[in-house]
Amino acid sequence: MTNFARRDFLQKTGLLTGGLLLPNGLIDVFATAPMADKIKIGIIGCGDRGKGLLKILQELPDKFEVIGLADELPFRLRDARKIDKAGKGKLYADYRALLDVRAIEAVIIAVPLHLHFAVAKAALLAGKQVFLEKTMTYDIPQAQELVRLAQQRPNQTLQVGHQYRYSPLYYRVKEMIAQGYLGKVTQIDCRWDRNGSWRRPLPEPGLERQINWRMYREYSGGLAAELLSHQMDFINWAFDTHADEIMGTGGIDYYKDGRETYDNVQVMVRYAREGMIGNFGATCANARDGYLFKLKGTKGTISLLIDEGIYYPEKETLKQYGTVDGVTGATKITWNKEGGIPITTGAEPLKDGSWYALSDFYRAIKENKTPDSNVLTGARTACTVHLANQAIYNHTIEKWRPEYSFS
Amino acid sequence: MVFGLFSLLMLWVTMPAPLQAFHLSGHAQGTTYAITYYAPDSVVTKEQVTQQLTEIDASLSLYHPGSLINQFNEARRGVLADRHLKIVGSAALRVYQDTDGLFDATVEPLVQAWGFGPQAPPAAAPTPATIRALLARVGSDKLHLRGDSLVKDVPTLRLDLNGIAQGYTVDVLAALLERHCIRDYLVELGGEIRVRGRKWPSGERWRVGIERPDTSAFAAPALQQIIDLTTGAITTSGNYRKFRQVGGVKNAHLINPKTGYPFQNEMISVTVIARDALTADAYDNALMGMDLAGALVFLRQHPELQVYLIYQRPNGTAADTATSGFQRLLLNP
Repeated sequence: MTNFARRDFLQKTGLLTGGLLLPNGLIDVFATAPMADKIKIGIIGCGDRGKGLLKILQELPDKFEVIGLADELPFRLRDARKIDKAGKGKLYADYRALLDVRAIEAVIIAVPLHLHFAVAKAALLAGKQVFLEKTMTYDIPQAQELVRLAQQRPNQTLQVGHQYRYSPLYYRVKEMIAQGYLGKVTQIDCRWDRNGSWRRPLPEPGLERQINWRMYREYSGGLAAELLSHQMDFINWAFDTHADEIMGTGGIDYYKDGRETYDNVQVMVRYAREGMIGNFGATCANARDGYLFKLKGTKGTISLLIDEGIYYPEKETLKQYGTVDGVTGATKITWNKEGGIPITTGAEPLKDGSWYALSDFYRAIKENKTPDSNVLTGARTACTVHLANQAIYNHTIEKWRPEYSFS
Repeated sequence: MVFGLFSLLMLWVTMPAPLQAFHLSGHAQGTTYAITYYAPDSVVTKEQVTQQLTEIDASLSLYHPGSLINQFNEARRGVLADRHLKIVGSAALRVYQDTDGLFDATVEPLVQAWGFGPQAPPAAAPTPATIRALLARVGSDKLHLRGDSLVKDVPTLRLDLNGIAQGYTVDVLAALLERHCIRDYLVELGGEIRVRGRKWPSGERWRVGIERPDTSAFAAPALQQIIDLTTGAITTSGNYRKFRQVGGVKNAHLINPKTGYPFQNEMISVTVIARDALTADAYDNALMGMDLAGALVFLRQHPELQVYLIYQRPNGTAADTATSGFQRLLLNP
C-alpha cells in the first residue's frame, strides 16, 4: 500500500534505530497517558540553569505545577516570573521560606556549587523530593554525607541533574557499548571548549561574586565540575565503572582577569578494571572542537555531540559487513561522507536532555523508583570531579578509594 | 608470415577484453543509489544515470513541482501519460486488482487525514463524515489508462506512486545498463535491488543482505539473512511500529483504502523477490497490508513471487517465515 511517504521516514530513521530498545523507564515516558496528579514543585536558584529548567517545566504541564520560585536576587525572580506561564509561582528571597511551604512536594536546586550540599540537605530534611543540579556536591565529604542522608530517607527521591545522558541517544550509546559495537574500548576523548571568558555580564555592579561564582574556587569546581563532569558521569554509568587514578594540569592561561578557577584544564584518567584511558579537557581560548566526545574501541568509534551521534566501524569491522554486495531494507543503511553511520533513536526528534531528566524525576517520585542519575552515581561523579581538581590544582596523582564507590 | 600476423590480429580482436568493475553512486529520490557493473570499459557514466533519474523525477515525483504526476493530481480529468507514468500507473492498477484493492495508489488523502502523511498531522482524528467524504475521492476503480491518457472519474482523485517509483527506477537503470550490453550488474536505490549475472573474475553470484527491522543485526551479522541471486529483483517494505495517538486510540499507520480506517496487522517487514523491481516493490507494499494467513494464501496463488516475512507473534516476539523458493536462495538457512 502506498500509505507512507518513504522520503519522510527515511529522514527520520536510520540504521542504528534504537527506539524499541530503550530502558523501560523511558518507554514509559514516551507512552505518557496523562497522569492525573501533578507534582507541586519549587525552584531554588533562578540563574541561567534554574530558568532553563523552568522553561522545560512549561513543556511538562501534565506532570509539574510550579508554585514557588526562590532566589536572593530580585531581578532573577522577576525574569523567572516571566517564563512561568501559569504564574502560580510565589516568590521567595530566602529558599528556607520556600522549603517551609508544606504544599511544595518537590524542589529543583540550581544554586552555585558550594551551596548544593546545604540546600539539598535542608530540602531532604524538609521532606521534599529533590532534583539537584550537577555536580552533586562541592567535595567528597559532602558527597559522603549526602549519600548517608538520602539513604536514611528511602521514600524521598534525590536525582542529580546530569541531564545529557538522559537523552535517548545516550541510552542507545550505552546499549551499543553493551552490544559490542565498539569491541574493546581503550581510549575516550572528551573536550568542552569555548573561545570566551565564561563570564556573565553583571546587571548591577557589586554582584561579581554572586553572578560569576564559577570564577572563584570558594564557590566553584571550575571547568571540571561545570562541564567535564557530564562526560565523567556518562563513562561511569555506561561502563559501570569509576576512575582509579587521576592526573591533571591547568592554569589561568589566557583570561588573567582576577579569576581563580583555571581557564585551561586537562585531566587524564585511568580506568584500571576496564583497561581504559580517559582524556578530559576544556579551554576558554579555542572553540574549534567545542563539545567533543569520542569512544574508541577495537571494532569502532562512537563520536557524540549533545544530540547527535555517529558510529564509525573500524576497517576490519567494515569488511565483516561488506561481505554482501547490497542490502535490501526499508530503512536502508545510510553512510555519511566520512564513512560513519548516524545513530538514531526512533522517529521522534530528540528533545532537550533536561526534558527526559525531569520526566524521569516525575516517574521516580510517583513510582518511588531510584532515578538513573541518583545519589550514588552523583556521588561517584562528585568524587571524580573533586579528585580531578585536587590533581589539577595540587599537581598530584589522585587515587580512588573504595569508600568513594558507594553502594 | 603475413597470414600468421593477420590471424594473430584476428585473435586479438575477437578475444573479449577482460571485465572490470565500475561503481556509480549518488543521491536520488530522497535516498541514495549505488550501481556496480562489469564491462570492458566504463560504458555507462554517472551523467547518463543522472539524466535517467531526472527524467523519472519529472514524471513521477510528488516532490518535484510541475511533474507529470502533480499535473495529473491538479487536473480535473487527467493527463497525457509519458512512458514512465504509463508503465507505473498500469502496474499500480494491475496490483490493485490482483490484491482486491489492498494496494491502492490513491489512498494518500486518507493517510494524510490520519496523520501519517508528509504534511503536519491534524489535531484530531477525522470524523466519520470526513472519512465518508474522503472515500468518495479514493479508490483506483476511479482511475483508468485509456490509450495514452491517464484519466480519473473524480476531479479530486490524487495519485501517489512513491511506494513503487523506487522499484521502477531500479528497473529503468537496469535497462540503461542492458542497452549498453552490460549483463553483469547490481543496481540499488533506497534498498531496492536488481541484479543480473555474476561478479568477475570470481564468477560468484551477487550476495544480498536483508536488513532486519531490529537493527541489532548490525552488531551480529550472522542474524542478518543473506541470499545469493543471479537474476531478479529484491525489495523490502517495513512497518516501523509507527503509531499515532489520536484521543485515546493508538492507530497503526496502515489505512484500509476501502473502509478508510486504520488497522493493525502482525507484519514487521516483507522482502519480495520477483523478476523486476517494480513488481517486487508493488507486492512488498501490498503484502505489508495483509495479515499473515492472508499473505500465505495469496502467495500460494503467486508462485512467481518469493517472499521472506518478519512478523510479530501475539506474545510480542518477532518471528520469520519464507516461501520455499526463497529458502533455497538463503545462504545459511
